Amino acid sequence: MRRSGAEIALSLGVLALGVGAAAVTATLPSESGYAGIGPNFTPGVVSAGLIALGAWLAFEAFSGGWRSAPPDNARERGEHPFHGAAFGWITAGLFAQMALIGTAGFVVAATVLFACVARGFGSRRVARDLAIGAVLALAIFLFFVQALNVNLPAGWLSPILGGAGI
Amino acid sequence: METLSALASGFGVALQPMNLMWGLIGVTCGTLVGVLPGVGPALTVAMLLPLTVKLDPTGALIMFAGIYYGAMFGGSTTTILLNTPGESASIATALEGNKMAKAGRGGPALATSAIGSFIAGSIATILLTLLAPLVVDFALKFGPAEFFALMVFAFVTVAAVLGSSTVRGLTSLFLGLLLGLVGIDGQTGASRFAFGVPELLDGIDVVVLAVGLFAVGEALYVAAYQSRLSETMEKLRGSIWMSLEDWRRSWPAWLRATVIGFPFGTIPAGGTEIPTFLSYATEKKLTKHPEEFGRGAIEGVAGPEAANNAAATGVLVPLLTLGIPTSATAAILLGAFQNYGLQPGPLLFQTQSSLVWGLIASLYVGNIILLILNLPLIGIWVKVLQIPKDLLYAGILVFATLGAYSLHQSWVDLFTLYVFGLLGFAMRRWDIPVGPAVIGLILGPLAETQFRRALSISQGDVSVFFTHPISATFLAITAALVIVPFIVRHAKRLRRKPA
Repeated sequence: MRRSGAEIALSLGVLALGVGAAAVTATLPSESGYAGIGPNFTPGVVSAGLIALGAWLAFEAFSGGWRSAPPDNARERGEHPFHGAAFGWITAGLFAQMALIGTAGFVVAATVLFACVARGFGSRRVARDLAIGAVLALAIFLFFVQALNVNLPAGWLSPILGGAGI
Repeated sequence: METLSALASGFGVALQPMNLMWGLIGVTCGTLVGVLPGVGPALTVAMLLPLTVKLDPTGALIMFAGIYYGAMFGGSTTTILLNTPGESASIATALEGNKMAKAGRGGPALATSAIGSFIAGSIATILLTLLAPLVVDFALKFGPAEFFALMVFAFVTVAAVLGSSTVRGLTSLFLGLLLGLVGIDGQTGASRFAFGVPELLDGIDVVVLAVGLFAVGEALYVAAYQSRLSETMEKLRGSIWMSLEDWRRSWPAWLRATVIGFPFGTIPAGGTEIPTFLSYATEKKLTKHPEEFGRGAIEGVAGPEAANNAAATGVLVPLLTLGIPTSATAAILLGAFQNYGLQPGPLLFQTQSSLVWGLIASLYVGNIILLILNLPLIGIWVKVLQIPKDLLYAGILVFATLGAYSLHQSWVDLFTLYVFGLLGFAMRRWDIPVGPAVIGLILGPLAETQFRRALSISQGDVSVFFTHPISATFLAITAALVIVPFIVRHAKRLRRKPA
């Protein structure tokens, strides 16, 4: 009989999310006005639903696996096995952007993100990726700030970019 | 008559030079982004939403109509040349379209898809024009109880009836409903599930969820499982023009597909996937060239593509007249309306008549722009398709994060985006549909409001939902949709192994 650890974990995750949501719901006010239902009513229904669905998913996971789920073996799906480095580079790029965007500004943060994602997809040409990323980020920055009046942080480049951005 | 004069004034709005330009920009950007492999219509609309922040509502919505149509067309170009259907509605096209491209008939495949989309889109827009006022008249009789029942019906059909697994569809829906609760409760001012984070008090923006699920999730998935595979693109060889024979075989397929596609779009049945397959099956059955099916039959491209566009237009009927989104893309469009403080529904036809009719008129214009733009520019779209995957996804993520960051100028939105990316990765890997989550996020709060209004009017008496005939009908149909397949399945099982 097929049993997938990931499916069990996800099922229990949904169940836990429902329990957590129910715990938060318990702290919400219930004063209700004319309708007879307060701000905690819908959260209660949604929490109960998630708990029931988590239990249902867990039941399927323990009794032969989720119904009509994709095969666990990547080759049967026509794909290659999980590539951790690829996943890691994209994650690193997104976190680098979060860290940089406030201080270094949009252009620098987006350039780093661009190079990291390209690396995640197997590119080895770091200089080329940084260059293309910088041009793209600068073009987007100028277009959004000048043409659309959307605020984006100039950061380290504010001496060069002048009054553009914030 | 009244409709005609409303439509005429709509054309007055849509044909203003500025609005015409927004339509043109929308169609161009929509096609350009829609062509990118791995970018479906929902993501295209979500990523281009920031472009419209400073526009007036009419211009912005006209641009959006263009983006919506452009994204649909761009997607089919990718499918025909790359054989990687960006969305489930393109799978049927991929069956024959890619075979045609392999056989050096990519040009006629793209042409029949473009012309078929134009014809189906235009007929469907005429049907929309005729149908919308009727639905509005009917919907003006709706009270909160009726709207709530209709929303429950929409939830259940999108989440439970379609897709490979009822339980996974419902899980996705409830995740969306939970996310929809985050923020300040509009009725009482209570803060819910925001945990004191200021960025969360506004609620979860549909753009962040959609871009997280579709762009970040997709990038993580493709990088992890497909980035080291090689992929071949079909070169566009031979004439792009259709022969007389191609025309003769295409036009009946276009018309049949319009008839199939439009009604499916208008009911909350999950958008455009089913009608494309139905159209494919119909053409396969009726064709005089059955031997070509599976090896590149032009009817197999003409039908599904036309059905796709007719259904995409049909989706706008419940969206505009009732405020009910029936696909993830429609849910994002509804979010775009809400950004301007507009709530689609029967009242919008009365209060914002020129905006709504301007939008409908711009659908006619958009279809024409699409046709004029696409046949000559096919060469450019093909170039876009050749962007290597590493640069492509890097660019997509730069755009995706830009949209999320520009909401509050805060890294917190980028973090939320990554969390939704992880969610999208898991949902793709374990086949949990993402559409219901996006629809739940946007429609959940509206359903809650209608539920409370209905109960305040009835002073807490729950029976209103069952005593009002329209509401009771919707709920009865909903119950039947859930229960009947369940009984049928069990009856079959009992028959197979008698006790």
